[in-house]
Amino acid sequence: MSEPGETSTAAVATNGAAPIKVKAGRHREASLYHALAGAGAGDGRTLAQLRDAARLAYETSELPVWRRSGFWTTSLQGLDLGALEAPARSEGAGEQQPGGVPDVVARTLPERPRAGRLVQSGDEIVHLELDQALSERGVVLCSLEDAFRDHGELVNAWYSKRLAIDGNKLEAANAAFWRGGAFLHVPAGVVVEDPFEIVYAIERPGVAQYGRTLVLGGPTSEFRVHEYDLAEDFEGYPEGHRQALHAGAFELYLQDGARCRLAQFQDWGRGEVFDVSTRFVGVGRDAYCHWLPALLGGHLVRQHLELAVSGSGGEMAFRGLFFTEEHEHLDVFAVDLHETGPSGGDVHWRGTATGESRSSFEGLIQIDPGAQKTHTYLQIHSMMLSPKARIDTIPSVLVSADDVSASHGGTVGELDETAIYYMQTRGLDRPTAVRVIVEGFFEPLVAELKDEALEELVRGRVARKLAAARQDIEAYAISR
Amino acid sequence: MADLEITDLHVRTEEREILRGVNLEISRGEIHALMGPNGSGKSTLANTLLGHPSYEITEGSITFKGEDITEAEPHERAKAGLFLAFQYPVSIPGVSVANFLRMAINAKREEPIQVKEFRNQLQHAIELLDVDRAFTSRHLNDGFSGGEKKRAEILQMAMLAPDIAILDETDSGLDIDALRTVAEGVQRLHDEQGLGALIITHYQRILHYVKPQFVHILMDGRIVLEGGVELVERLEREGYDQIRQEVGASAAAAVATGNSSPPTHV
Repeated sequence: MSEPGETSTAAVATNGAAPIKVKAGRHREASLYHALAGAGAGDGRTLAQLRDAARLAYETSELPVWRRSGFWTTSLQGLDLGALEAPARSEGAGEQQPGGVPDVVARTLPERPRAGRLVQSGDEIVHLELDQALSERGVVLCSLEDAFRDHGELVNAWYSKRLAIDGNKLEAANAAFWRGGAFLHVPAGVVVEDPFEIVYAIERPGVAQYGRTLVLGGPTSEFRVHEYDLAEDFEGYPEGHRQALHAGAFELYLQDGARCRLAQFQDWGRGEVFDVSTRFVGVGRDAYCHWLPALLGGHLVRQHLELAVSGSGGEMAFRGLFFTEEHEHLDVFAVDLHETGPSGGDVHWRGTATGESRSSFEGLIQIDPGAQKTHTYLQIHSMMLSPKARIDTIPSVLVSADDVSASHGGTVGELDETAIYYMQTRGLDRPTAVRVIVEGFFEPLVAELKDEALEELVRGRVARKLAAARQDIEAYAISR
Repeated sequence: MADLEITDLHVRTEEREILRGVNLEISRGEIHALMGPNGSGKSTLANTLLGHPSYEITEGSITFKGEDITEAEPHERAKAGLFLAFQYPVSIPGVSVANFLRMAINAKREEPIQVKEFRNQLQHAIELLDVDRAFTSRHLNDGFSGGEKKRAEILQMAMLAPDIAILDETDSGLDIDALRTVAEGVQRLHDEQGLGALIITHYQRILHYVKPQFVHILMDGRIVLEGGVELVERLEREGYDQIRQEVGASAAAAVATGNSSPPTHV
């Protein structure tokens, strides 16, 4: 018997219904993927101790590979880590120009009311602002470095509580070398309408950016966080000198009854940006989180995204959309973790791919022992736009409680020629009709952002990617 | 010269010849009915007129407002002023009726329509077609009932104000109230805007509400009989089979004398 990869062929993705063929006697590979599940490093060690331990792990480990044999391999062998800027702040600050807000940030972020904004470019905080009235009510937005200095007790209690520091080389690098970073604390009972914006930007190639974010929502607080991950296009740099790395670690903890809408707009531009990040969101008792990453570009992106309901009565809506193009490679591992019940989960992702790009998505529902009365559902929909692109989706369910409901479903679609013709008879040309279909495909999720400025940004970026892939999409239509 | 001229139209799809020499002329302000049994080529004609990519024109031509549009793309025909109300309207998830209408209207214009003007037009059309305001914020045809889909077709027609509209079995699957609304909508667009229409139908029902001036009967890919509204009544009395026998005889005679078979006029 050959490798189990035959269940997936180019331009045809698996869906929830497809059984995964496994060689007899071999462990199913889902077991390779562990939810973080309490593996955090925050166990009373000081920041310095954690950094030391992480540095050791960094020095002794190899670059990670994530493999789903027959489906995909995410390898960092193309990343020249040694060529990237030493992960220590450059000396001789006097000679360097004081960092400003990068153009890509000014260009991309919508003009709109906001509660605060923190921008990190490379390893430097280049912009920080917080609404004065919120500051007076105890809201804190500052660099994570400053937070350790000024709010040590609070930060030490939560920092790396659920994030590991030695799971792989880049995770260790982040924990050892991070600079700047973002810290947001919304105290108990504070309700904030406008979003807090946290921005990580990479202006030029040759940079290794270790972003580190800690967000705390006090009991019954309500707020929004919009994270932007952006890079310039690295135009004018020679081939072979266009690499940069973002290795991010993000953690957000919602205490009893807190409510948060977390959105992430990620587009690393046309340079060769690698993004290997881990994000954890913990939902406490009766708390609620709506989390929507929009993954819209990056040379190689590997995201471990985990949303855990850790307190009874907690609810979460875990949304996501992705759109890869050209030769991009995306690998998402999204975990819907229920540590206690009753709890509710609802995972809904949508993605598409053009060019020769690859999108791989594994969604895992994990219900721990004792998490009774948990109800959760995972759906993943994908749409093929190019004959050479490939999307694989694998849903997994690990249930260790007996009074729960957990299910999953998915669809794999192509452009509907009948719908295109229908719109053409209304006067829309073919590219416009295609755009309408793809926008409509993403719209159920985009509309859930419930933030007009961000919705427009996502729609605009999707439209731009479609325009770039126009010939590709035509070729696909003709080939069918 | 008529606004829409169809001359000796032969159309194939999947290696089968469906239309075998159709001639038809339609102008603004005229209401035509095209009737015929199942499989006679009615929907093929409708879709060929709008440029559906699956239908291949092997002979003949389509001229619209003096321009040969035989090879034109569907959206070019739409922009020129042709409209097709679909027998099976397609759902477009994620796109609201109002947004879709705005896009379609803007596709025909140099400058985007003003918000106020659009709103006024939409309000007018909503009243004309007796639909709920909330209807326009639903996703186009997504989860619509059969009647809602057909109303949405007529709503689009009212908003896009074409010169000539082709209604492909718009009456099928409608209850009597929906049928009346749809038919009255067509009649009013004809009366108010000078719409020209080709109403394609298998049955006579809709023609009790919209009065055609011209009736054409299509059988086996040809128009075999033409006349006025009295033809509808005759069809109601006699059925397609009787007519088939009659025109079959005259067509056979025409073939015998070497003439192509022109439709019989009554």
